[in-house]
Amino acid sequence: MKNKTIIELRDISKNFGEQQVLRGINLDIYENEFLTLLGPSGCGKTTILRIIAGFEEPSNGQVLFNGENIAKLPPYKREVNTVFQKYALFPFLNVRDNVAFGLKLKGLDDDIINQRVDKMLTMVGLKGYEKRDVTRLSGGQQQRVAIARALINEPKVLLLDEPLGALDAKLRKGMQIELKKIQKEVGITFVFVTHDQEEALSMSDTIVVINDGVIQQIGSPMDIYNEPEKRFVAEFIGESNIVEGNMIRDCLVKFDGIEWECVDKGFKPNEEIEAVLRPEDMDVVDADKAKLTGKIVSKVFMGVHYEYLVETKYRKYKVHTTESYDIGKKIGLTIDPYDIQVMHIS
Amino acid sequence: MRLKKIKIGAKLYILLCFLFFYLPIAVTMFFSFNSSKSLTNFTGFSMQWYGKLISDQNILAAVYVSISIAIFSTIISTVLGTITAIGLSKSRRLLKEWLLNINNVPIMNPDIVTAISLMILFSSAGLQRGYITMLLAHIVFCTPFVITSVYPKVRSMDSNLPNAAMDLGATPYQALTKVVVPLLKPGIFAGMLLAFTMSLDDFIVSYFVTGNGVSNISILVYNMTKRINPTINALSTLLILVVALGLIAMNLWPLIKEKKKNRPSLSGKVMRKRSSRKRDKIVFWSVTATITVIAVVCAAQFSAISNKQTLRVFNGGEYMDMNLVADFEEKYDCKVVYETYDSNESMYTKLESGSTYDILVPSDYMIERLIDEKYLKKIDWSKITRKNAILSNLKDNEYDPGCKYSVPYYWGNVGIVYNKNIVDKKDLQQGWNILRNTKYKNQIYMYDSERDSFMIALKSLGYSMNTKDRGKLKEAYNWLIEQKDAMNPVYVGDDVMDNMISGSKAMAVVYSGDAAYIINENKNMDYFVPSEGTNEWADAMVLTKYCRNTDLAYKFMDFFLDSEVSKVNTRYIGYDNSVKSTFEYFRDVEYKGNSGCAPDSSNPANEVFHYQPRKTKEYISNLWTKVKSN
Repeated sequence: MKNKTIIELRDISKNFGEQQVLRGINLDIYENEFLTLLGPSGCGKTTILRIIAGFEEPSNGQVLFNGENIAKLPPYKREVNTVFQKYALFPFLNVRDNVAFGLKLKGLDDDIINQRVDKMLTMVGLKGYEKRDVTRLSGGQQQRVAIARALINEPKVLLLDEPLGALDAKLRKGMQIELKKIQKEVGITFVFVTHDQEEALSMSDTIVVINDGVIQQIGSPMDIYNEPEKRFVAEFIGESNIVEGNMIRDCLVKFDGIEWECVDKGFKPNEEIEAVLRPEDMDVVDADKAKLTGKIVSKVFMGVHYEYLVETKYRKYKVHTTESYDIGKKIGLTIDPYDIQVMHIS
Repeated sequence: MRLKKIKIGAKLYILLCFLFFYLPIAVTMFFSFNSSKSLTNFTGFSMQWYGKLISDQNILAAVYVSISIAIFSTIISTVLGTITAIGLSKSRRLLKEWLLNINNVPIMNPDIVTAISLMILFSSAGLQRGYITMLLAHIVFCTPFVITSVYPKVRSMDSNLPNAAMDLGATPYQALTKVVVPLLKPGIFAGMLLAFTMSLDDFIVSYFVTGNGVSNISILVYNMTKRINPTINALSTLLILVVALGLIAMNLWPLIKEKKKNRPSLSGKVMRKRSSRKRDKIVFWSVTATITVIAVVCAAQFSAISNKQTLRVFNGGEYMDMNLVADFEEKYDCKVVYETYDSNESMYTKLESGSTYDILVPSDYMIERLIDEKYLKKIDWSKITRKNAILSNLKDNEYDPGCKYSVPYYWGNVGIVYNKNIVDKKDLQQGWNILRNTKYKNQIYMYDSERDSFMIALKSLGYSMNTKDRGKLKEAYNWLIEQKDAMNPVYVGDDVMDNMISGSKAMAVVYSGDAAYIINENKNMDYFVPSEGTNEWADAMVLTKYCRNTDLAYKFMDFFLDSEVSKVNTRYIGYDNSVKSTFEYFRDVEYKGNSGCAPDSSNPANEVFHYQPRKTKEYISNLWTKVKSN
């Protein structure tokens, strides 16, 4: 499925004065992929985007674009375009002139510009808004103008810096779908920055989880969710119970004084590990049918399911299930081998 | 009912406000059409002052200097200020705060401090004062205003906007011109407008930093106040009109633009857009061209070194007929750089600041001082062919006995001009004490000058007007206080002439030459010099030790001793000339019977002012301030 790489980040680091915001970033970005940089605010994800766009120069390392180092190339010479966090539309220009800005700089003919602006506005669903004042548009409409303004230059890569951050929840969902659709339509690489894990999971081909200036894990949404390699990833994406234990041998892990079958291999015998147990993967059974037992201490209705806190001998587990149980009931907990994700201790 | 009342009140209030704002302007405009010289007495409609305005080379040059300086300093300070504001927003916080605070200093600084600092800077840097120094000074005080009005706009700008432009392919320069500048436009415009007004309005700074005959409107008008006439009103009226038209145009422009925008038809729109872009370009280039032309002409007029020999003359305001100066220039193929001052003291300050001239025209006591300080060159009388034309009594004076350093120019004395129909002839016997005769309470103008007021009091008490005795000065002070309490006089400056011509009061202390002018305009007036004696003054032309072209300087002095030239000059100035034939001509023909002309100088009690030691001067100054504020 993966194509040729278009952008490669090689050992990028970035310092702002004393502060190191990026450390040893290595990342391959492929043609036509929807790649998401995911992490909490301040983790350095926007800095990576600004380095790709050319607004920041890396303190160290290389930015390869089709194999060529562009780390020192100014932004206006790069074949990438950006959709900014608050859109950064030019308030003194109308919709048409905002979208046409890049083409006018290239000195194209008015007729060609008009044609391409028309096409772009049709694609983002803003046909007929040409003469509108951008400051009078809604957030979603401004968003579309920003996307059209960037895409009209036919970049090889589109960079999006938390573009949905300013929209309300409902509009956001709609835009997520639309963005994905647009990406398929124009067939170029999107590099998307967000701190919203759900957004990342639902839209991306590849997710890059970043924390504290370091890449934690790169993988498909399924990989990232089901097989987090580090405690941070497991905690940041979805909900999880993380327990410490030992790997007895391949496919056998021990925690809470119980040995569990699993599918993980390649650990040293008796290596100390952490296991990730997703709340929805823990099955509630009768107390006598399970090795792990406990008592329900809290119950919250979440819509689709209930969230329980189950107090066991060693710890409290968070458990999601659609069944209803009373508080104080003694229950047993079982986990399927493939639902146990074992991680090295980081 | 109540609401209606409030509305009427509000309207009345606004009406009063507008009256308050615009009445002075309206009065000024009204008197620009006066057929006589008076600024207070309307005698009939005439456009003559506009004619005078257009034909007066000095005024036109000053208008030209004012406007070109305003344009240049606005452009330069706008560019400088805008760039600085943008740069500031990107610098570190501490530096930014420091710089912004420093930027506020020139704004809050009193103008006079800025003016003197610049004057000292320019003279210590050895810059020749004139157009360029004035322009530099204006840029200096305009730029902080631009920074203050642009900086908030820069700060509120989304920093991603220039990034967005560059992201879309704009070079940093294009990002600046196509995105940053349009975004900052309101701030830049506000700054420009401020800078332009500040520059056009400025008097103090310009006054101190200019030189070599370059003056703007405000300096010119200030120096014109000696013989104020409706030309100033005409000039003001034209300026007001230009400003008003400018404002109207600025307010209408967006409306016109809006109208054009709203016209339908798509294909037409594209066409129009193109043609309007073309028109914008034409406008831009024509404005640029105009400014360049102005610049070139300026450079030619003010900074190019002329091959002609030059003479630098520093004279009192309105104290020489400029047409005669032009005649002189033509006759000797030279250039006279002519500058004016408003008092002997301000002339002296200017000399102290390092300005150099060839010829000065100071008064007696100032000549004495300059001789004392070895500032003057001795006159080589053999170079002055018309030396025998001078009134012999003027050569025999106290300030420069034998006229070793000075060539007499005009002279006169101080006396009282009075309304013959009100003042009883017998009361004139009282001498200066007539100014304390309660019969004429509220009917008196005193001349707002410590020197002349103390002269009156001292003479009236029978003392020398040059006394340094504190006791006598104190007595004089009491005399003035008592007079003020008893008579409630009004202390005036040169507006005394206009007021007396319109007959506002019965009596005024004036100079003889001014009296002659008043009597000429109002036949009810007469002039007398009290028998206790008075100040007999004389002004004379002197050569400074810096004089470079003494031959030309002598020619200049000689030129004004010519009987015809001095006649024309005297007709303009109105005082008693130093040339015997001219003096006699006015006494016997043109001003015959005018008691302000050719005053009697035989009274032995008359005196000439000597320059006072600093302490005495300060003492008198303090007493005079007390008199006025009493």
